[in-house]
Amino acid sequence: MRNLFTGNFGIDPLTGQTILSEIRFYLPNSLELVLFSFVIIIIVGVALGYFAGMHFSTLGDSIARVIYLVSWSTPMYLAAIVAILLFATFIPIFPSGGMYSLSISPPQPVTGIFLIDALIALNMPAFVSGLQHLILPALALAFVNFGLISRAVRSSILNVRWSTYVKTARAKGLSESEVRRKHILRNALIDATSLSAVVFGWVLTSTLVVEELFAWPGLGYDAYQAIFSSDYPVLIPIVVIFTLGVIVANFVADVAYSLLDPRIAIGGHLSEVT
Amino acid sequence: MKSLKFRQLVLTNRLSSLGLAIVIVSVSLAAAFAISGGRITPYSPYALNLQDSNLPPSFTHFFGTDFQGRDIFSRVIAALPIDLGLPIAIVLLSSVLGIFLGMAAGYVGGVVDEVIMRITDLFLAFPTIIMVLAVAATLGAGLVNAMLAFVFVWWPPYVRLVRGGVLEVVAEEFIAVSKALNSSFSYIMFRGILPNILPSVLVYATLDVGTALLEVSILGFLGIGIPPNTPELGVMVGSISYGLYTYPWQALFPAFITMILVVGFSFLGEGAREASDVKVRPYILFKGRAFRKAPEITKQELAKQ
Repeated sequence: MRNLFTGNFGIDPLTGQTILSEIRFYLPNSLELVLFSFVIIIIVGVALGYFAGMHFSTLGDSIARVIYLVSWSTPMYLAAIVAILLFATFIPIFPSGGMYSLSISPPQPVTGIFLIDALIALNMPAFVSGLQHLILPALALAFVNFGLISRAVRSSILNVRWSTYVKTARAKGLSESEVRRKHILRNALIDATSLSAVVFGWVLTSTLVVEELFAWPGLGYDAYQAIFSSDYPVLIPIVVIFTLGVIVANFVADVAYSLLDPRIAIGGHLSEVT
Repeated sequence: MKSLKFRQLVLTNRLSSLGLAIVIVSVSLAAAFAISGGRITPYSPYALNLQDSNLPPSFTHFFGTDFQGRDIFSRVIAALPIDLGLPIAIVLLSSVLGIFLGMAAGYVGGVVDEVIMRITDLFLAFPTIIMVLAVAATLGAGLVNAMLAFVFVWWPPYVRLVRGGVLEVVAEEFIAVSKALNSSFSYIMFRGILPNILPSVLVYATLDVGTALLEVSILGFLGIGIPPNTPELGVMVGSISYGLYTYPWQALFPAFITMILVVGFSFLGEGAREASDVKVRPYILFKGRAFRKAPEITKQELAKQ
């Protein structure tokens, strides 16, 4: 138990290295991928949900709903395979796997996150190559996971749109854009915030498939290898880290929640999981 | 009366009727395959035929053949009973478990509530697919084991959903009246509370079957829990990851079929959810564009009332 908290996970029986050093190598790579795609998810998800909610019951709404339902129903491997086939094989604009091209010299690891290291070392070729390799897996991850956010934003906009305080805001003579921004969107974001923690957990676990298909050396790839070779000493710390990631995401969401909604003080709410 | 209106709303919604159509077609295909003992497929989904391996899609093999010469179209049909049966069984078992635990927690309250909910929270904190993988890897390959591994992590949301519903229903007057009339415990539970929480569980479960299907196929894709060479959509996609550039159809067809199946459940569930949403329903009824026949129904029902 003490070893768990001090980070002493023992030695990987397959490679002979300490598990901590392996995690130190894999974790930043996963973090880079997950955070990058999470930003895309939030932006696209909120934008689409807002659009659908404000155009309720029109053609635009139906199209937006079909888009997010299909996105959410797409298996992770389909998105990854289609991305590889479309943008790496038929139109070869992005590389199909790996973290950077072999031709460039990788920067000295400082934070472990490749893009930031490249920036610190002012190594522009490495930065560009890293970004090129990042875009395709990140987009595949984002495409599969933004649906839930869109759906939450849309349904809470529908709850808010016709409510009395929005009418009051209009009656006070606020401009339409101000009503939409401050009274409708802000309230719609509250539900999305608590859900984004759930989505973060999904993105984290989706890395299992994406990292495997894109040969991205991250925690998901490591977990997959560990499960496949029944390497439980490695698997256990990874499950712990993923769980910690979900808990931290929930905590951040709770804090953001109380910042967005003045009615809620920190320490008094239970998020719904429906 | 209420259920009729709900059903009408689901059926008049284009989204959910499309979903319902997909679900009915796929479930009846799966049932036909299971009942006929696998005689409805054009080729055997299991027999190896190495002469015909890696054929592209054509009129003799709609989806082409895989690296062992098996017809992918036949294998997709053979996969339907597994890919639909497993998620439905998972969701059914989880929801039954969730209903029992949630009702106990919500109705009995006190220490029981506290214990059940803390255990539920504990299970909710673990990332689903990783836990499933770990449990499935421990139990060993096999469809029943895979199902058990899923149920092991799948039930917590149902407990929270049911408990929330029970707390709302218990506060209502008819439960108090029922208690005053000295109704038995089981009568209050199964006649008073259960019918009121079932619709929301049903709506959630419909969406959840789709999610379970996705995760089952991911389990198959990763090659853990589900035995290799099982006609399962994820397994079929996963088995070709090295020939992806040469024979893309071997992965694309099963993957797209998976998506279509999940889309069916999602559309159905989404339409049902919206029809059951009390806040949005009046706007659906009176704006009338998304639902074609809805305003007439309400007029008739108003007249009856």
